[in-house]
Amino acid sequence: MHFFEYYERDSFLHRANPTTKLMAVFVLLLAVIMAFDPFTPLLFLIFAIALMCGLGRIPLFYILRTLIPFWLVAIGFVVTNGFLYDVTKVQTPTVLGRWGPFLITQEGLEAGLSLGLRALAIVSYSMMFVMTTAPTDFVLSLIQQARLSYRFGYGILVSYRFMPLLQAEYDTIRAAHKVRGVGERTGLRDRYQQLKRYAVPLLASAIRKSERVALAMDSKAFGAASARTYYRALHVRRGDWLFLAGVVIAVVLIIMGLAWLGLLKGYGIVPE
Amino acid sequence: MIETRHLGFRYAFGKRAVLSDINLQLEKGETALLLGPSGCGKSTLALCLDGLIPHVIEGEMRGEVFVDGLSTRESSVAELASKVGIVFQDPESQFCMLTVEDEVAFGLENLGIPPGEIGARIGTALRQMGLEQERRTRLDRLSGGMKQRLALACLLAMQPDVLVLDEPTANLDPQGAAEFLPALATLKGQRTMLIVEHRLDDLMHLVDRVVIMGGEGRILLQGMPREVLATNVDLLEEQGIWLPQAAELAWHLAKAGVRLEPFPLTVEEAAAALRKLPQRPLSRDVEEASSPLSFAPPAIELRHLSFAYPNGTRALDDVQLTVARGDFFALLGPNGSGKTTLAMHLMDILRPPPGTVYIQGRDLVALSTYELTQQVGYVFQNPEHQFVADTVYDELAYSLRVRGINEAETQHRVEELLAEFGLAAQAKDNPFRLSQGQKRRLSLATMLAIGQQILVLDEPTFGQDRRSARQIMEHLRRLNERGVTIIMITHDMRLVAEYARHVAVLMAGRVVYQGSVRSLYHQAALLEKTSLVTPPLYRLAQRLQQENPTFPDLMTGEDWVRAYT
Repeated sequence: MHFFEYYERDSFLHRANPTTKLMAVFVLLLAVIMAFDPFTPLLFLIFAIALMCGLGRIPLFYILRTLIPFWLVAIGFVVTNGFLYDVTKVQTPTVLGRWGPFLITQEGLEAGLSLGLRALAIVSYSMMFVMTTAPTDFVLSLIQQARLSYRFGYGILVSYRFMPLLQAEYDTIRAAHKVRGVGERTGLRDRYQQLKRYAVPLLASAIRKSERVALAMDSKAFGAASARTYYRALHVRRGDWLFLAGVVIAVVLIIMGLAWLGLLKGYGIVPE
Repeated sequence: MIETRHLGFRYAFGKRAVLSDINLQLEKGETALLLGPSGCGKSTLALCLDGLIPHVIEGEMRGEVFVDGLSTRESSVAELASKVGIVFQDPESQFCMLTVEDEVAFGLENLGIPPGEIGARIGTALRQMGLEQERRTRLDRLSGGMKQRLALACLLAMQPDVLVLDEPTANLDPQGAAEFLPALATLKGQRTMLIVEHRLDDLMHLVDRVVIMGGEGRILLQGMPREVLATNVDLLEEQGIWLPQAAELAWHLAKAGVRLEPFPLTVEEAAAALRKLPQRPLSRDVEEASSPLSFAPPAIELRHLSFAYPNGTRALDDVQLTVARGDFFALLGPNGSGKTTLAMHLMDILRPPPGTVYIQGRDLVALSTYELTQQVGYVFQNPEHQFVADTVYDELAYSLRVRGINEAETQHRVEELLAEFGLAAQAKDNPFRLSQGQKRRLSLATMLAIGQQILVLDEPTFGQDRRSARQIMEHLRRLNERGVTIIMITHDMRLVAEYARHVAVLMAGRVVYQGSVRSLYHQAALLEKTSLVTPPLYRLAQRLQQENPTFPDLMTGEDWVRAYT
């Protein structure tokens, strides 16, 4: 299983300003979250994949493969809701079948489908952002466009850099303890002991590393001069505004279209 | 260019002063080498010169430091950053960006340099350090040697007059060091440099002045390298300071009544001085002792062991290897050649396929963790990783208690180990608070607590000063004499020459050499290909062999002294 990470490519989405791209993603996420029917998240899921393939030039196969674990989660939502839906919520539940003490209801399946597809759509938009945004650009844009404190921004970058190092260190410590004849523990108390044993060397090294990096940054006058310049200036260009506007229009069109077709089943705060 | 007056420093919460009464003057363009035992305050002095003390690090600073006439106390960090730059030891933790270009830009942005000029300065600095091809490379794709050159490039871009280097090659393999030092050499004379370093043999020709610090954070002596080293070797020895091997050899020969003039600091100088000697070396006792060990039953045997990491990297490729019982065996090879991966298979940290790894004649996969840890001890490069208890005593008792050995016997065994490894006074201390040398000795002792007969060590002398390194190696030698099979991963060819009996060389996951140390040194092409560097004293012998083919094959200081007396 591989998690999603930055996918190096040259595309419209890769060149887009991270801050406006993030705003667009928020708009899309909001639209997805407010839906209760299965059709809205389905359309938004298709829209997400289309954006990634079309504007992000990420291969369809790669996207689908990365989504596999989330497909499984979505199917889990459908199944559990199908069986366990609280039938008292609706006046006349449509019972499709019965399995032991469980009723399989149409309302349950629909709710599960909606939930599963919403989860998938949310993951896809997050994935779109992560795959098309270089971490450094993201932080620089937050500093330059969103007025994030640069001290905080560079802090994020450093921790991002350290994550793989700490992971490697954790693996080594585990191996080192195994060599001491410390088996992996299963009991609750033993697990707590084990956590403590791993934590001490890991923390010691993390603290030492961050102290060293802080010193190195200070020695290069980080935060010392009154005005800091940026070698790479990120701008919000016309294309970025157009993209944001396009996304808003697309959202409105999708929702209105669904409403016109009568497929919306309660949306946001609008009652059913 | 740099001047300190009665400089002293005590860290906040520190019990005693780390530096006291340091008076140091460096002229413009001078290169000074700072030597001292570990924990003597070398790094603290480096931080004082850089202005991080007193501006960033909390503590109490006495006296004054002047850089180019400016008092560090009265100047701002920004002013100082464009005057002095510092390269730290650890290549992993002195960068904060993700790519080469961004990293060089970082310091310049902090100084408020306009973006257009930043671009030009990045280009110049990278070219100077031979990194212009890597401008857009991600930092995690760089080798250690490249990272340290990048660290230097970052400073050069900020155009400081003074460079402080705090053990810049300590974390590099020989290849990385061999890349870094020539890059550093190009700066000689252009910048004022203060270098703290252990690996001296390829550095001495750059040094104009040597400054020796002692255990109390004081300067013991300073002056021209030749004068300081020629007359004070006893003192340096006593302080546990690493010396250039040529100087060490001259000193050993002098004790035996053979004087080298002028006192040599480099292999070249030693060769010149040796040529002038009236004596000729005797070639007794240097011929290879026949190795009866190869008839001993194998302690470890690898048969067609291959291994690939989940991401597809092939780390071991059909490895065949036999280590005889009682051998002192070294595993060599460049970084990433598979040494550690191989060692991890000996300890079931990585599980080998059945029928590929045999420990004392038994297939490793048939052994339980209990049986395996009973037979094999494994000492990690960083001792802290192995600590599991809150006191030194409990640390040693741990493996025994896990095995259900009764408390009386445990106590007896622990006390034995404490005495043997010189840790009795620290029995109640927390392992994390020990000195580097003590930590290493403790990790060694824990791996012998249950009488393991095979010991695998990853870089046993890494980060140790000379005295501590020697103590550790002498321990290993004694253990080996008692019949313990030692397998060590190392980059230090001097250790190999002095201690190992057999070696294997790995290259891209394959064993490209297995045999005696001496015949490895004869294979120039193989050494070149695997970027192994023969120890300085052997290079000295080779140099003399070029003129005199009958000159004996002398590898270690002992060989040399024996040949000349």
